[in-house]
Amino acid sequence: MAVKTITGDQAVAYGAMLARAEVVPGFPITPQTVIIEQISEFINDGLMDADFIPAESEHSVMSVAVGASAGGVRTFTATSSQGLALMYEMLFAAAPTRLPVVMAVANRSLGAASGIWTEHNDSVPVRESGWLQVYVEDNQEALDMIIQAFRIAEDRRVMLPIMVCLDGFILSHVVEGVDIPEQAVVDRFLPRFAPVNVLDPRDPIMMNPVTPPEFATELRYQQDRAVEAARTVIGEADEEFAALTGRRYGGLFEAYRLEDAEFALIGLGTWAGIAREVVDQLRAEGKKAGLIKLRYMRPFPGQELRQATLNLKALGTFDRSAAFNGYGPVFTEVRNALYGSGITVTDHLAGIGGRDITAEMVRDMYGLVERSARGEKVRDCTWHALRGEME
Amino acid sequence: MTRMTSMKDVPREDMLTHGHGACPGCGYAATAKNIAKMLGPNTVVYVPASCLVVFGALYPYSSWKTPYMFTAFENTGAVTTGIKAALRRRHLDATVVGMAGDGGTFDIGLQALSGAAERNEDVIYVCLDNEAFMNTGIQRSSATPFGAWTTTTPVGLEVKGNRRFKKDIARIVADHDVPYVATLSVAHFTDFVRKVQKAKEVRGFRFLHCLTPCIPGWRIEPSKGVSINRLAVDTGMWTLYEVENGVPKVTYKPKAMTPVTEYLKLQGRFKHMSEADVRQLQAWLCAKWRAHYGEEAPSPPCVMPGHEEVLAHDGDPLYGI
Amino acid sequence: MYEIRFHGRGGQGAVMAAQTLADAAVRIGFQAQAFPYFGAERRGAPVEAYARIDTAKIRTKSQVYRPHLVVIMDASLLELEGPASGLRPDGKVVMNVAQRPEELDLGAGVDAECGTVDASSIALETLKMPVVNTAMLGAVAKVWNVVPLDAILEAIEDRFGGKLGRRAGMLNAEAARRAYEATVVGRTQGKREYVQPKRWLPVWDEIPIGVSLRKTAHVEEEVGPATTYQHHTGRWKWSTPLYKKDKCIRCLRCWWSCPDAAIVRQDDDYMRWDLEYCKGCGICADICPVEAIDMLQGARGTWQ
Repeated sequence: MAVKTITGDQAVAYGAMLARAEVVPGFPITPQTVIIEQISEFINDGLMDADFIPAESEHSVMSVAVGASAGGVRTFTATSSQGLALMYEMLFAAAPTRLPVVMAVANRSLGAASGIWTEHNDSVPVRESGWLQVYVEDNQEALDMIIQAFRIAEDRRVMLPIMVCLDGFILSHVVEGVDIPEQAVVDRFLPRFAPVNVLDPRDPIMMNPVTPPEFATELRYQQDRAVEAARTVIGEADEEFAALTGRRYGGLFEAYRLEDAEFALIGLGTWAGIAREVVDQLRAEGKKAGLIKLRYMRPFPGQELRQATLNLKALGTFDRSAAFNGYGPVFTEVRNALYGSGITVTDHLAGIGGRDITAEMVRDMYGLVERSARGEKVRDCTWHALRGEME
Repeated sequence: MTRMTSMKDVPREDMLTHGHGACPGCGYAATAKNIAKMLGPNTVVYVPASCLVVFGALYPYSSWKTPYMFTAFENTGAVTTGIKAALRRRHLDATVVGMAGDGGTFDIGLQALSGAAERNEDVIYVCLDNEAFMNTGIQRSSATPFGAWTTTTPVGLEVKGNRRFKKDIARIVADHDVPYVATLSVAHFTDFVRKVQKAKEVRGFRFLHCLTPCIPGWRIEPSKGVSINRLAVDTGMWTLYEVENGVPKVTYKPKAMTPVTEYLKLQGRFKHMSEADVRQLQAWLCAKWRAHYGEEAPSPPCVMPGHEEVLAHDGDPLYGI
Repeated sequence: MYEIRFHGRGGQGAVMAAQTLADAAVRIGFQAQAFPYFGAERRGAPVEAYARIDTAKIRTKSQVYRPHLVVIMDASLLELEGPASGLRPDGKVVMNVAQRPEELDLGAGVDAECGTVDASSIALETLKMPVVNTAMLGAVAKVWNVVPLDAILEAIEDRFGGKLGRRAGMLNAEAARRAYEATVVGRTQGKREYVQPKRWLPVWDEIPIGVSLRKTAHVEEEVGPATTYQHHTGRWKWSTPLYKKDKCIRCLRCWWSCPDAAIVRQDDDYMRWDLEYCKGCGICADICPVEAIDMLQGARGTWQ
């Protein structure tokens, strides 16, 4: 057991190495680039037995990944933002073909009116691609989740690709002390990859041909059931990982000081860290605040959230991306899950385009949720720290 | 395993088997069938969006005996790279072949093709060139010859047919310094067999560029789906050569250059061509002929093809159905 | 609302026929729609196209299962399927065939007014090619009085003329007019029992995951690699090769050049044609250096 002071990107690379990924296609894009640089170093130093394939675009990166996974080997890659957008088409090839590729996404704002900074509008919109999606809070979780991701993705009940999303710069380029697990521990947790379908001339299969309507409905439903099955597998993986490393993440989401809470916020990514601080402050002030760190967008923990929020009067959702119809995507998912539960749900947008999220901003969010818990009418959706009045 | 030097040596067993859904007379199918036959059972086939993806396999059936995969249009170079990487890591010594169309190679697939060629991936890339996006209903690609009608280069009142000359994709690939590049015609049997055999033996990136006539797209008689290749070579519309480790070599030279009108008149897609356009195409061919065969081409007569009233269907597959 | 179903083979122009009929109906004040079965079929493969005609706006977008009118553009389709299946009790049939309606058997339960016409011959004479769609529309006008011939001719001249040139429009209208005159109207009563081909259509959790299949034999059929042998694509053909073995020099060119792997190379390097898969393209005859193969009109036989 060794603690290294490394960036989130480096932590991801350690995770891929410890998971014994065998083929790693890559293409540089900030803020993910350090991941493929670090993996290239591992390989060239003889520490990692894998093929790094410097593809000529992210579309090709995902195409190589799909080919390699279909060829029967454990496959890892990473991207960000525009790179993920360029892969979009191939995301929809990997999932129905049930290829358990693991991909780190260093979240970065996508498209115009943006730059290289963190936003979730790259990965959240592809939550309907059939990939599982987990969002992490710190570098340790980034490393641990790469390892867990392979275990979850390759489980026979699941066999789906998975994205491990970490906030760009805020994690990708920040160093923290990270406990690097022993290889033997990882090997015990993560068995060798046993693919279901492999392109092998000794046992020929047809893979992903054009599929007429008579079969597409059934195959899609299988995909839907596999995402459903992932709920169980995620919980099992979390428990086993905890038994081996002592680190437990709570599975689909982590509830923080929620048991007796009257109001709470729920959201993705590093924001949860600041929110913990704010919850502690509010608790010290005698306010019954709580927090739900939403970890998985797919599978989305709808039923589980309903259970966990039974005693809440109000819940705020934190969205680090807009959906341009009045609400953010986390809000849409959460309110859908809590429909009819009687809890007031409000949305809170912040951190767009990488704008820094401060404790004060999160306190403002809690302030609004507390007011709605008291029965006051507040806006359904608030853009925090917006210059000018909202319309 | 016997080295195949002539048609006699080619195995009887088909890897792209019968019952597939290609149009009667499909030049694409004839070529794909023979390449698959020669590569044999120890092969993994990737096919991007193309006619082959539709006629070769439709869930739950496949005409392929070998493993077969499809995902998208533009990524033949990349998916085959990934498959080969996996097989290599699993110590499986099998041929990985991608069979793409001209649109999937010259146009949307060029980037992934260049990437795989530059990395010298150990795969065979076959371009089955029917000179337009045929699967979507005959739209122009950068492989479409000058003058040809397609649905996106229609014969209009002011502009008649394609105004650009065919891109030389084999030369572009050869400039990546790959071990083997060859152009093939299914009608030139021995040359074809020799080149596929060589591609099978060589390691590294191999590129086979095959001219594959399309019956509805070229508006030709189904029975001409193979023999028209011979005329393509005799007129210089297609040249047979190979580039092995950077050394170019003509592998078949016609005894004399046939005027291009002989080729054009068999095909509805050229029937509208003006005399000026035919002359321009002939001049381009003469230059190409000299470039490949390295000597003065005979000055061919630029005769207008006989102008017949065109009643053949216009190539729109929906029209045909 | 009237529902019409066209049965043809890829290349015969069933879709254009459906569109033109809809066009003709619109010209005389009806509402109409026409569309193909959106498949991946190629030339020669059995295809369907549909049209709906009504006085009110047509909101239905599904395929046609209970037609008022069935148009069969190729007689050989009767060997494959019951094209008149689902025909309404008062429904009508139009068929491209030289026989009289009374001589036809369109399947058990079919007892309908029927028009027959040798549209193939009319198309060959008028258009110099076997595209029968416009001739069939002429026959439709004769049998079915909803859309009169004048409207159909007008629609043909406009649609075909606009697409293929004025002369083509006129010739196609001429084909329709001639077919109208030549159509024999009578009654057809069927006896033949069509057996629905069995298909592997498992419930969702019986399908292997990943849109991937190994070669697997089911009760109904085989699926996975190398299973298209179950598709008898030789039934698409319009002409059939005749092999004259005594002339054959065993050069293998026909075997090599066959796109359909339908020519079987024997141990002695003589050939055998598997007509279940031969689509009749004629490449073998074209490529043969010694004229050992003739192409005969029509589909015949299974082996040669």
